[in-house]
Amino acid sequence: MMKQMVLQRIAIGFATLMVVSVIVFVMTSWLPGDVASIILGQAATPETLAALRAELGTDQPLIIQYFSWLGNMATGDLGISKAGGATISSLIESRIGNTMMMAGLVALVSIPISIALGLYAAMHPGTWLDRLVTFGTLSTISVPEFFIATVLVLILAVNLHWLPSTTYLTGDETTWQFLKAIAMPLFTLVIVVSAQMIRMTRAGILNVMNSPYIEMAILKGVPRKRIILRHAFFNAIGPIVNVIALNLAYLVSGVVIVETIFSYPGLAKLMIDAVQTRDLPLVQACAMIFCGTYVVLIILADVASILSNPRLRQPK
Amino acid sequence: MTDKTILDNELKYQDLDHVDKGRVEKTLAGNKGYTRREVMKLAAATGVTLAVAENMLISGNKAIAATPKKGGSVRVAIDLHGPNDNVDPRLFTSGIDYARGRAVYSSLVQHANDLTPQPELAESFEPNSNATEWTFKLRKGVEWHDGSKFTAEDVVYSMNRHLTEDSTSTIKSVMATVKEWKKTGPHEVKAIMHSPNADLPTLLGLNQNKIIKDGSKGDWIGTGPYTMESFEPGVKSVHKRNENYWREGANLDAMEITAITDPVARVNAVIAGDVDMIARVDPKAYRQIRSADGVTLTSIPAAAQLGICILKNTKPGESDDFVKGMQYIQDRERIVKRILKGEGTIGNDTPISSAHGSDWCSELAQRQFDPDKAKFHFKKSGYSNADLFVAPVTSGIEDTCLLAQANCAKIGFNLNLKKVPNDGYWGAVWMKEPMNVVTWNMRPTANSQMAIQFGPNGNWNDTFWNNKRMGELLSLSLAEIDPTKRHAMYCEMQTLIHEGSGMVIPAFSNITDAIRDNVMGMPTVPLGSLGGLEFPEFIWLA
Repeated sequence: MMKQMVLQRIAIGFATLMVVSVIVFVMTSWLPGDVASIILGQAATPETLAALRAELGTDQPLIIQYFSWLGNMATGDLGISKAGGATISSLIESRIGNTMMMAGLVALVSIPISIALGLYAAMHPGTWLDRLVTFGTLSTISVPEFFIATVLVLILAVNLHWLPSTTYLTGDETTWQFLKAIAMPLFTLVIVVSAQMIRMTRAGILNVMNSPYIEMAILKGVPRKRIILRHAFFNAIGPIVNVIALNLAYLVSGVVIVETIFSYPGLAKLMIDAVQTRDLPLVQACAMIFCGTYVVLIILADVASILSNPRLRQPK
Repeated sequence: MTDKTILDNELKYQDLDHVDKGRVEKTLAGNKGYTRREVMKLAAATGVTLAVAENMLISGNKAIAATPKKGGSVRVAIDLHGPNDNVDPRLFTSGIDYARGRAVYSSLVQHANDLTPQPELAESFEPNSNATEWTFKLRKGVEWHDGSKFTAEDVVYSMNRHLTEDSTSTIKSVMATVKEWKKTGPHEVKAIMHSPNADLPTLLGLNQNKIIKDGSKGDWIGTGPYTMESFEPGVKSVHKRNENYWREGANLDAMEITAITDPVARVNAVIAGDVDMIARVDPKAYRQIRSADGVTLTSIPAAAQLGICILKNTKPGESDDFVKGMQYIQDRERIVKRILKGEGTIGNDTPISSAHGSDWCSELAQRQFDPDKAKFHFKKSGYSNADLFVAPVTSGIEDTCLLAQANCAKIGFNLNLKKVPNDGYWGAVWMKEPMNVVTWNMRPTANSQMAIQFGPNGNWNDTFWNNKRMGELLSLSLAEIDPTKRHAMYCEMQTLIHEGSGMVIPAFSNITDAIRDNVMGMPTVPLGSLGGLEFPEFIWLA
C-alpha cells in the first residue's frame, strides 16, 4: 500500500519535473532579450550579436534547443553556461554544498526550537509565555527578512565588530571562524522560518485539542502534558511536517535575499543571475534542482503524515 | 602620492592625490570641526605645504611612505558578478572582468591617470607621417605565467581577434579603424589602418585589448602582475604575485577579487573591515563612510553621464523645440548638489566633460535651468505631455527624472515617467522608446566618446541624430595634430551636439569608491571604479 503510494508519487514527481522544465524554458525565452544581447549589452551590434548567437548555438529554434538540453540532461550532462562559458556542473557544485549546508544547519536549529516552543505554547494557552511567543512570531512573520538581516549586520558587524558582515568562506577556516562566518545568515533564517513552524505547531495541536477523543481523555483525568504529547501531537503531525517541508524547500530555493545581503554563494542567487542573463541551460539546471527538492520533501512529508496517522492509509 | 618622491616642503595640497586629499580633509575636519567644503577651499586657497600636510596625516595616525612596500594581501569587492564572469578579454563587460584582466593579463599600452598612453608590453609606439600605420616595438624577455616566451605572434593573434568577420568582441566597432595587425619583426608589430587614427594608442588601453597567448581564449594565462590561483564565476577569484613579473609592481603577496552585489552590504563590509576596498558607493552612503574610522571615500570626476535620449527620428523628439524644453527644464545645479551630493559635475548636453582634459570645450556657454524658456519651447513644439522611460541604469538617474517631472508640472507640462527594470533594458527599451534614460561609461578619448553616440548612422547613435558635418569632423579631428586646430574641431562638434542633437545631459557623476586607509598607491584613471580597475598593479599596504 505504502510502497505503491510512494512509487506513484515518484512517477508524478517526474512528470511534474518535465512540465516545469518546459514551462521554465518557454517563460525564460519569452523575456525580452536573449543571452547574446545581455552579454553584449550596450555594446551589441547586429554583426556581433549574430556571431555570438551562432557561437553559442542560440540561433537554433527553441524546440531544438530544448530537446538537445533534454537529451544531454538524460545522459547526465548539464551543459555549459551560455553567459560565461563555465561548465554548469562546476557552477552548481560549490553552491549546492553551500545551500544544503545552510539549509541543513538552519533546519537543525529551527525545527527542535519551533516544535518545543509551539508545544509549550499549546500546553499553556493564554499564559504570558504563550502571548510572548505569539507576539514574537507574528512580528517576525510581518517584518521582511532583509530588514532583520540588515539590522543584525548593523548591530553585530558594523557597531560591535563581533561577527563578519559577509559570509565569506575560504574553505580553510577553523571551526570557530566557520561558526562566526555563518552565524548571521543562520540566525536570520532561523528567525524567518521558525515563526511559521511555531505557529503551525501551536495551532495544529490546539485544533486537535477540541476533538471528542481529547475531551474523553480529559474526562478520564489524563494529565494535560500527557494528552498533548501522546494523543494530540501525533494527530497534529500531518500539517506540521508539511509546513516543515515547505520551509525546508524555501531554504533551498528561496533565500535569495539573505544570500545577497551576506554575499553567500548559494543556488537561489545563481538562479536569479541565470534568469537575468537569459542563460537557459543554467536556469533549467537550477529549476530542476528546486523542483526536485520540493517533490522529494513533499513525498517525505506525506509519508510521515501517513505513518503517524493510520487512518490516512485507507483511501476513502 | 603615487610613485612620487616627496621633497621637503615641495609638495602642495593640490599635488596630493585624491586619496590623500580626502585624508587631509578628514583629519582637518575631525580635529578642527571644519566642514569638508571649508577645508577644501582653505587648503586650495592657502596651498597647504607638505610639512603641514604630513603633520596632519601623522596626527591622524596615517603615515605616508614614498616607496611601495611588498607583502600582505587584499580583498576587493566590486559591485556585480555572476555566472557570466568571463575569462576571455574579448567578452569582458563588467568591472570584475576588468579587475581580473588587469591582474592576470597585460596590454600593449596602459592608461596613465590623465589618460595619456603609457608603454606596457609595447616599449614604444610610433605612427607614420599621416597616421595610417602604427609601429609597436615589443618588450623582450617577457614570459607567460606558464613559462613560455611572449612573442609578436601572440600580439597579432590577440589584436586581430577583434576584427574578424565572426568576431564577438564588445569593442569590434571601436577598433574598426584598424584594417589588420601584422608581424614585421621578431619584436615588432604594425597596425595597418583603414583611416588615420591619432588616438589608437589610447584605445589600446581599453580593458578588452588584453594580450593573450596565440591560439587561446585567455584561459587566465597572462603576462600580468598576478597569477590566477582559483576562479569561481560569481563567487571569487584568488591571485598570487607573479614572481617573474617583468617590471616593478605586484606589491601584494595575494589578492582576492569578489563582488558584493547589495550596495548596503558592500558599504558595511568595508566599514567593518571584511574587505579592503569596494567599488561604487551610492550617494546615500557618503555620510556613513565619511564618518567611519579607517575608511576613505574617494571621488574622481569623470564623464559618466546621466543622460536622457530623445529620439530625433520620431515624435516628439523630431521637434527641436521639444528637445530644448527638456534641456531647459533640467535643474543642473540641484542635481549635482542634492542628488549626487556634490560628487559630480554639471553637464552641458554634450557627452564631453572637464575630465576629458583639453578636448573639452569650456568656451561653450553653459545651458542654465530656465523654466520660462522651457515653457516657451514646449508651447512652440505643440506638445503638452510626453512619456519618459526610466530604469535605474546609473545612480541618481531616477531622482533626476523625478525632479524634471516636478519642474515640468510647475509650468503645466505633463512628463509621465514609465518605470521599467534594468533587466533587459538595453535590448528592449533603449534606442526603441522615443524618450529613455541612458548612461555611458567614460571613453578614454573625446573622439571615441562622441563617435559612439553621435557618429552618423553609427550602431549606438541613441538619439538617431545624423549630422553630416559631425561625421566629417569626427574623422578629420583624428588626423589633426595641431593642438589649436584640433581644439577648434572638438569645440565645433560639442556645439553641434549641444545645439542640434536629442541628448539631454544635465550632469556627470564622479566615480565614488571606498578604500581602507592602509591601502596605498590607488591610481585615479577616471574610466571606471577603483582607478579605472587599474589598481591591481599599483596598490600596496602601509
